[in-house]
Amino acid sequence: MTIAAPITLASTMADRVGLLWPELLLLAAAMVVALMGLSKDRTIRGAVGPVSILAVLASGLLALFTGGADAAAAAGVPFPALAQWLKPMVALIAAGLMAVQGGFVDQALEAAIGRNAAAFNPLRAIRGEFHAFALFSIAGVMLLTTATDLIWIFLALELVSLPTYVMVAIGRGDRPGLEAAVKYFFLGAMATAIMLMGFALLYGATGSLQLDLIQNAFGAQAATGGIALLGVGGLMLASVGLFFKITAVPMHFYAPDVYEGAPLPVTAFLSFIPKVAGFVGLILVLGTAGLTAGELPRPIIALLWMAAILTMSLGNMGALLQRSMKRTMAYSSIAHSGYMLVALAAGTTDALDALLFYLFAYGVTTVATFGGLAVIQRAGGDADRFEDLAGLRRTHPWATAMIVLGALSFTGIPPLLGFFGKFWILTSAFEAGQIALCVFLVVNSLVSARYYLRFMATPVVAEPDSNATPTERNPSLAPVLASVAFGLALLVLPCFTGSIFGWVQRATDPAMGAAASAPAAAQSADSR
Amino acid sequence: MTLSPLTSMLSGTMMASSDIPAATIAPEMAWLGWALALPAISALVCTLMALGKVKGKLPGWLTVASLGTCFVLIFKAYQSMPEGPVVIPLAEWMSFSWGPTDFHSLQAALELYIDRLTIFWMLFVTGLGTLIALYATEYMEHDVKAGYARFFAGVSIFLFAMTALVMGGNLLLLYLGWEGVGLASYMLIGYFFTRPSAVAAAKKAFIVNRIGDLGLALGIFLTWRCYGTIEYSELFQVTANAPREGPWEESLIPYLLMLGAFGKSAQGPLYVWLPDAMEGPTPVSALIHAATMVTAGVFLIARCYPLFLLQPDALTVVAWIGGLTAFWAATIGMAQYDMKRVWAYSTISQLGYMFLGLGLGTTFGACFHTFTHAFFKACLFLTAGAVMHGFAGQLDIRRLSGLSRVPGFRMVSWFALLGGLWLAAFPFSAAFFSKDEILVAGVGSDRADFQFLGWLGLLTAGLTAYYTFRVWFRAFAGPVHFEPGDEVHGDDHGHDVAHDHGDGHGHAPAAAHAHHHGEFHPHGPRWAMKFAIAIIGIGAVLAGYPAYESMFLHKENWVQWMISGSTAVGGAGVVEHVAAEGASHGHQVLGMSAHAATSLAGSIFGIGGILIALYLHLIRRSAADSLRRAIQATPIIGWIPNAAEHKWYVDEIYHAVFRVPLWVTGHVLHFIDKHILDAGVVDGIGASPSLVGRVFRPLYGGVLQSYAVTMAGGVGLILAWLAYTWLRGGF
Repeated sequence: MTIAAPITLASTMADRVGLLWPELLLLAAAMVVALMGLSKDRTIRGAVGPVSILAVLASGLLALFTGGADAAAAAGVPFPALAQWLKPMVALIAAGLMAVQGGFVDQALEAAIGRNAAAFNPLRAIRGEFHAFALFSIAGVMLLTTATDLIWIFLALELVSLPTYVMVAIGRGDRPGLEAAVKYFFLGAMATAIMLMGFALLYGATGSLQLDLIQNAFGAQAATGGIALLGVGGLMLASVGLFFKITAVPMHFYAPDVYEGAPLPVTAFLSFIPKVAGFVGLILVLGTAGLTAGELPRPIIALLWMAAILTMSLGNMGALLQRSMKRTMAYSSIAHSGYMLVALAAGTTDALDALLFYLFAYGVTTVATFGGLAVIQRAGGDADRFEDLAGLRRTHPWATAMIVLGALSFTGIPPLLGFFGKFWILTSAFEAGQIALCVFLVVNSLVSARYYLRFMATPVVAEPDSNATPTERNPSLAPVLASVAFGLALLVLPCFTGSIFGWVQRATDPAMGAAASAPAAAQSADSR
Repeated sequence: MTLSPLTSMLSGTMMASSDIPAATIAPEMAWLGWALALPAISALVCTLMALGKVKGKLPGWLTVASLGTCFVLIFKAYQSMPEGPVVIPLAEWMSFSWGPTDFHSLQAALELYIDRLTIFWMLFVTGLGTLIALYATEYMEHDVKAGYARFFAGVSIFLFAMTALVMGGNLLLLYLGWEGVGLASYMLIGYFFTRPSAVAAAKKAFIVNRIGDLGLALGIFLTWRCYGTIEYSELFQVTANAPREGPWEESLIPYLLMLGAFGKSAQGPLYVWLPDAMEGPTPVSALIHAATMVTAGVFLIARCYPLFLLQPDALTVVAWIGGLTAFWAATIGMAQYDMKRVWAYSTISQLGYMFLGLGLGTTFGACFHTFTHAFFKACLFLTAGAVMHGFAGQLDIRRLSGLSRVPGFRMVSWFALLGGLWLAAFPFSAAFFSKDEILVAGVGSDRADFQFLGWLGLLTAGLTAYYTFRVWFRAFAGPVHFEPGDEVHGDDHGHDVAHDHGDGHGHAPAAAHAHHHGEFHPHGPRWAMKFAIAIIGIGAVLAGYPAYESMFLHKENWVQWMISGSTAVGGAGVVEHVAAEGASHGHQVLGMSAHAATSLAGSIFGIGGILIALYLHLIRRSAADSLRRAIQATPIIGWIPNAAEHKWYVDEIYHAVFRVPLWVTGHVLHFIDKHILDAGVVDGIGASPSLVGRVFRPLYGGVLQSYAVTMAGGVGLILAWLAYTWLRGGF
């Protein structure tokens, strides 16, 4: 039994590189910004952030024009058009997340240099590395979308995760950040181990690491009495390992501590980028066992079902009890993973589309909300108590408006983008017959309104405590600009849901790239 | 432009809505989209001006210009109107799909549905909108430094929403417009937001409308659920083929839509917000709360008439609610002293007639009456506004007399008389014919309940004539006497601005004249207000032209032609349907044809009401007071005058039945939330992790190892469960 079918290597290499231009651009940009961050010139160091954002946007544009579905299908990518949606979408939102990070790294150091109170010391400056790591992480997500085998998935996921551990640690370099990074790293390593164990079982069960061959093997097993225990165990362990990335029960415990310890902009990054990676990983791995055909083994469906309900409910209940905004957001992000797991458990193509759209809506809302929250800070750290938002209406009217919009969208209030995400998941789950999941989703949305209301009410209604030290203004304008841009998108994009839905639906359409994959399949059959 | 053959509508037992032709798609008419865009742009620019604190009348003129252009566009569409309904796609909007059938998708494009009914409605909405905006440029001039731009932003938003409501190609756009006009109405009623009564009135209007809007929203949901589409072009083709007895949800649709219509058009139990809405500036009352927005309910039912025809009982309910509301509001209007309030109650009453017409199956009568009413009621409101503007907010008919002889108010008085005659349905006025169309459908019906409603409508016409001329004879006729208002109607001028009038004398400052009658100089309206009043007054006269034309020239009534081929035309079918069952025009009432009897009775009731008013309120004004005292002294009916003046205590009853229980419940829940849920449960549980944390968290957060163990435990559980299920016999 061979590990990979001997597809003619020369042609596929060229095909695969053709799919990877956006990633290559990001990696090159990462090198450039890492060097720029060491420059003695303050303006060049100041350009690190904008250059990173431009690089991310450029990679998104590049993804639109390169690596068509036909090429992907020829390279054996299981969902050939998936990257066509995910890469531009991730690039757009990652650009927003990078803007939210604007100027927070090395803030005190740069301010001191600006006052001539300190000299530039390349050993202490981390802005370049930080942005390079962020770009690596984004490149990892993009790589994942065109993965064709388990090793690729594993490496891409590590490329997503490892930089984020560092970002948590060095973002401010303070004690909470370091502690969070240590926890995140060790627990992440454990989850990866579990996932690798799953991959090993999958290899054992099917004799291949290549996704299309695994799919064929599972298909053959399903036709003759069902997927074997080894395969089911592999799928299950791989899924549970991936649950860590999406903060789903039972792998969610780290999230509140890590999100709270990390600097606020990194928290925003964590609540989107690894999550996309985790869901893409789940889609690819479970896709081998008939995710969209509704043919998943029953234990896997049961696992997704239980995980969805528990993740939604524990996330929302946890969020109700928090005083820290970042912790609340951590639980809220757990809850949103639960909603998306509903779509996964529904297991239809339509539900998969709903999930992919939900990721987008969730990302846009995340940028709008976190950008708004990032306008204030406190003595070099984050302003993280709800009380810190009091009176924000007067000092930062735009940021307040965007926080309110973001919270409304998270809650799922029409006509904002978040509503359409939830609506689509609900309808698809309903059509798939998952009535209980729908009920849980609706009830949980209702519960979530209570803590999202605090994000809306505190800045608008509450008056600041006159005894408390007032919060400081974030010197960078980038977060509020990103917040306004993405907040307005929450209002405007619903008018174009038709086009966006069409785009998403094409991303999972098995007919995309079919023309190219047919000869490829014939070729591999010949060579076999 | 060809006339659709009248015979097609008279062809006996025509089935409902089967004669609505399929819509054609006409992208080449996309220029009509500007009718939607222009008010939106104007609203945006006026908002920016309000934020930028622009001083000057620019926002007003901008609004007038954009609305005027809209009217021109609509008129152009009227001239080049295609025969059947036309769908104009503008942009993609909502489009969901989750399965193969119609019931697995929701389509709502940004598109216009243009048939004659649309054009008919838009003609008077944009026409009156332009003229009233022009009037408001002068009326609101005292607010130039304060809310002028905000006012016109509100007017523009209203026109945008009204356009979406009337021209939109699906029920979702209608709903968007529906909520939009509600929002604009709320903003403009509460325009004087420093006045508590205005704020309360705005909230009341908004909240009462929520009840109706809930009905509309549910109605739209069910429409989609039952017919699989909310796009008119498809919906009316589906309903044309729908069986007459559908599933039970289907039978709810017209009732829910009706609820929405009753809320917006102040009918039945939901009428209470409209009188209070008079707290807004008078042009708003004229435009939104008399001529256009409140007719949205009539439009909704006319547009969705095929849905109503599937449930004939629903139309009976509409007829009853309309007829009773008309009578009820008229009785209240007889006892009010504030001129605008009387006109407000008369609006409710006249809207009741329109609903009566819809319910009786004569959509033609309802639409015709909407049309004539829009003009004469706008005329009445604008004249009332001129009085208010000139007399420092005074509108109490006990404190105004003989205005027709006050310099500067002569023209206003005569146009008020014109509006009054039309409201009273004086013989051969426009409203006489339009009201006649409605009442004859009742009086000449075979059904006893419809006959009763017809005669009740005739009686109401008498009451209407009385209360209308009670106002006119009191305020505009008789000896000259007036007291200026106390400026609480803040939509009048800040007197620190002395402005020059046509007659040369400047305005005295507030303190100088507010309490010294001798020094008060009422100032008449200038050109913009006079022009708008005159054009609208002439419009009111011309509104009767279609009736004269059909009466003397035996042509088809223009309004009837305008609604033919539209969704409302099913109504004509029903009238003839009823006719086929042996009722209608040929029916003998009191020994003559139903038409003649209704006209005669209407004339007698109308002129009788006017004569009574003439005697009680002009010839012997003391007689009115002694009559009132006499009634009050009579044991059984003594309570009536006071109760009528207090609007039959409906507000008080609503307060006791709805508001007080809700208020108490709210406070109880608040107490539970604050002192039990928050203090006990949430804070208690919230405190426990930190208590635990103090013991178990030596570092910043939780312990790494414990998390690892928990996670591994979770994985272990899952694997154990997997093994268990496998051992139990596989999956």
